[in-house]
Amino acid sequence: MLILEFLVKRIAQGVLILFITSLIIFTLLRVVPGDPVRLIVGGMAPDNVVEEVATKMGLRDPIIVQYGRYVGKLVQGDMGQSYLRPRNGMVATGGQYIDPTKSNMAPVADLILERLPYTLQLGGLALLFALAMAIPIGIAGGLHPDGWQNTLAFGVQSLFVSLPNFWLAIILILFVSVKLHLLPALGYKGFSYTILPALVLAVEITPFIVRTLTTSLGEVMQANFIDEARVRGLPRRRIVYAHALRNAATPLINLLGIQLSTLIGGVLVIEYIFDYPGLGDLTVVSVIGRDFPVIEGIAITTSAVFVFINIIVDLVAYLIDPRVEL
Amino acid sequence: MTVSAGALAADEAGAVSQRSRSINRRILGAAWSTVAFKLGFFVFVTLLLASLTTPLLSPISATRMKVHDRFLAPLFLGPKWEWVHPLGTDQLGRDMLMRCLVGLQYSLMIGVVTVLLIFILGCGLGLFAGFKGKWWDLAIMRITDAQLSIPMIILAITILGVSRPSVPNIIIVLALSGWPLYARIARSAAVTERDKEYVRGLRVLGASDWRILVLFVAPNILPPIAFVAVLDVARMMIFEAVLGFLGLGVQPPTPSFGSIIADSRKYLINAWWIATSPGLFLALALTSINLMGASLEKARNRIFGGL
Repeated sequence: MLILEFLVKRIAQGVLILFITSLIIFTLLRVVPGDPVRLIVGGMAPDNVVEEVATKMGLRDPIIVQYGRYVGKLVQGDMGQSYLRPRNGMVATGGQYIDPTKSNMAPVADLILERLPYTLQLGGLALLFALAMAIPIGIAGGLHPDGWQNTLAFGVQSLFVSLPNFWLAIILILFVSVKLHLLPALGYKGFSYTILPALVLAVEITPFIVRTLTTSLGEVMQANFIDEARVRGLPRRRIVYAHALRNAATPLINLLGIQLSTLIGGVLVIEYIFDYPGLGDLTVVSVIGRDFPVIEGIAITTSAVFVFINIIVDLVAYLIDPRVEL
Repeated sequence: MTVSAGALAADEAGAVSQRSRSINRRILGAAWSTVAFKLGFFVFVTLLLASLTTPLLSPISATRMKVHDRFLAPLFLGPKWEWVHPLGTDQLGRDMLMRCLVGLQYSLMIGVVTVLLIFILGCGLGLFAGFKGKWWDLAIMRITDAQLSIPMIILAITILGVSRPSVPNIIIVLALSGWPLYARIARSAAVTERDKEYVRGLRVLGASDWRILVLFVAPNILPPIAFVAVLDVARMMIFEAVLGFLGLGVQPPTPSFGSIIADSRKYLINAWWIATSPGLFLALALTSINLMGASLEKARNRIFGGL
């Protein structure tokens, strides 16, 4: 019952957050300079044509009217249609004129759904790599606060967080891909193309996990119940895995929720460098082309993912540690 | 009676801030006693001095092109190198060392200014929300959540992609993406502080909310947050480099780490040093800052007993 109440409350809040997000992005896009119509009709078109098309597309109405229209469609699950991408997948460039008021443009929802699985695959694999690296280092560091293990954790954390992701990506492409021919790097022709970008992303996430795990495990190990467990004669292995780790996991799970937006940001840049066909690539191209509906759609999708995962995170934290308030 | 109770409370608040000042000194002392902090500090100061003075004193320009000297390798590392260009030259014959140092200047400046801005904005809003409570709290925190849910990079390329990426614009975009976390931390600290004895005492004395907030609550809450903010200078420097890499950072001809690395991709196989040296420079600067920040954080956690 408590969980149900929590879900209803959080989902209501999440919807509110999504509205604020969409309003921020929507207003921002229309306030900053750069007219999408000019790009659609081409640089040579006379001004009256620009105005005519803009009026027909509704871009000259007051922002609040435009937003109302947008939200009205959004609640029906319609994110609008791309200004630049026709249904057949080609991108209109230069002076090539496509009438965006006609209905042959690709729906934004389709564009996003097509790319989302790739991005999720990349993010998921990166998280797996990061956990595989961080958990041994973090646990060792937390269990031996004065030993070399802690120094190692500290060093890994300081070094990894200092490597600029795009630079690491280029260096890895140069050595692993170009010189040693171990893994493919650019584009996407199969699962192996995910490994190298996922590694770069993992290096970006690892330090945060190591830091949280070391700190929280170090604290838990000093708690009374750990001493009591020792007195009760439990083997060390069982104390660490069954008692300490379970308690140290809550801050880690919370961290994953908060760091998610860093992860998503990192994914976008990495995708752009590796020419990986996910949401990041779509974002960059859409921003350059002032493809308003696509940018708005991506922003809403990512913040929906963010809200959803944060609800899950709080729920899992509660299931692990019932002392956590919902 | 009321007056004496109030005076007592004010004394107590003074004592708290006195004690917290000495706690802050103890944190600094504890951090300073670690090897990591000293190492980071010396590397950082060296880089800072080099980046501030060398471009002013040296006759070599970071932007002047000398096509004759292009693609010179770093010292001893290639078929063609010169003492004048210790890190080699790029595709247009510009000195890599000087370009890296100027890039570092901008990177540090943007990082530090952004973090100051974030700190003031985020902590200000967070303190206010936590202290006032009620619907102020609700409104500010929901905006914070919304802001937190838009990935910084989407916000950045949206704003910078369509407006001119000047240094103030870059700082604003980075600050916009960074403040929510500070607002959250400051808020939760302010909520616990709100009901403490000394605050109630000051209320009795008739101090206004602002007076209590600025003169008494803020000095107790902010220093521990400020220690960790050092880490964010490094994070912002990385973001600045990412923006530069996407062509949305400091614009050419002014060198920036991101744009140098982006341009160098074309020459990666034949002139590897153009991509490598700015990356190493940046990584060195970031490591030094992170070593300091992480030591401060560790010292803080140890002294506060796990905050």
